[in-house]
Amino acid sequence: MNRFNHPILRTAFSKSKWNLSKYTSPLFRPSYARTMIPLRTYSSTPSLTKEIIYDRIVEILESYDNVKQGSTISPAASFSKDLGLDSLDTVEVLLELENEFSILIPDNEADEIKTVQQAVDYIAAQEDSI
Amino acid sequence: MKYSGLQKEVLKLYRSCIRQAYKKPTENQDHWVRFVHEQFDKYRAIPKRDFATIEHLLRTGHRRLEMYSNDNITDVH
Repeated sequence: MNRFNHPILRTAFSKSKWNLSKYTSPLFRPSYARTMIPLRTYSSTPSLTKEIIYDRIVEILESYDNVKQGSTISPAASFSKDLGLDSLDTVEVLLELENEFSILIPDNEADEIKTVQQAVDYIAAQEDSI
Repeated sequence: MKYSGLQKEVLKLYRSCIRQAYKKPTENQDHWVRFVHEQFDKYRAIPKRDFATIEHLLRTGHRRLEMYSNDNITDVH
C-alpha cells in the first residue's frame, strides 16, 4: 500500500501542484478528484482577531498574582495605574505575553506598552503572532 | 509616565534576567525567577535619584547575570 493513499493526504495531494496521479488509486484520478470537496485543512487555526488576543491577555492577567485584588481588567486598563503592577511586574507580564503569542518584543517597544489595549494592538500588528 | 534612561537600563537588565531564567532547566526555572525577584527586591527602596548606587548595582547585576548565564550552572538556592 503506498503512503499517498491515506485519506488525509489523498485530497490534499490531488489538488496540489505536484502531479501525483501515478501514486493515487484509480478511484482518485484527477477528473474524479475535481468533483470532490476541495482541501481538508486540518492544520489551519482561526485567524487571530483582536477579541481573541484580548481574551488571552485577560486570561494571563487573571492568573498573575501581583494584579491588584478587585481590579477590573478592561481594554483601557493601565498596567500600573489600574492593575497595580509596578514596572518590573509589567516587564514580566510582557515577557509572559511574548511566550503566549510566540513573538519577541524589542526593549524600547516594550517600554511603550502601558495599557491592555496597547498590548492588543501591538500583538495584532505582529504577523507572526499565534 | 515616561521612564528615565536609568530606569530603562534597570528594566532591560530585569528583562534579560527573566529571559535567562527561562533558559535554565524547566524544573529549576521557578527557583531562578524567585532568585531574580529577591535580588531586585533587596534594592527596591533606593531613591530614583541615587544615580551612583543604581549605576553600581547595574554594573554588578550585569556581571552576575553573565556569570549565572553559564550553562553549567543549572540551579540556584
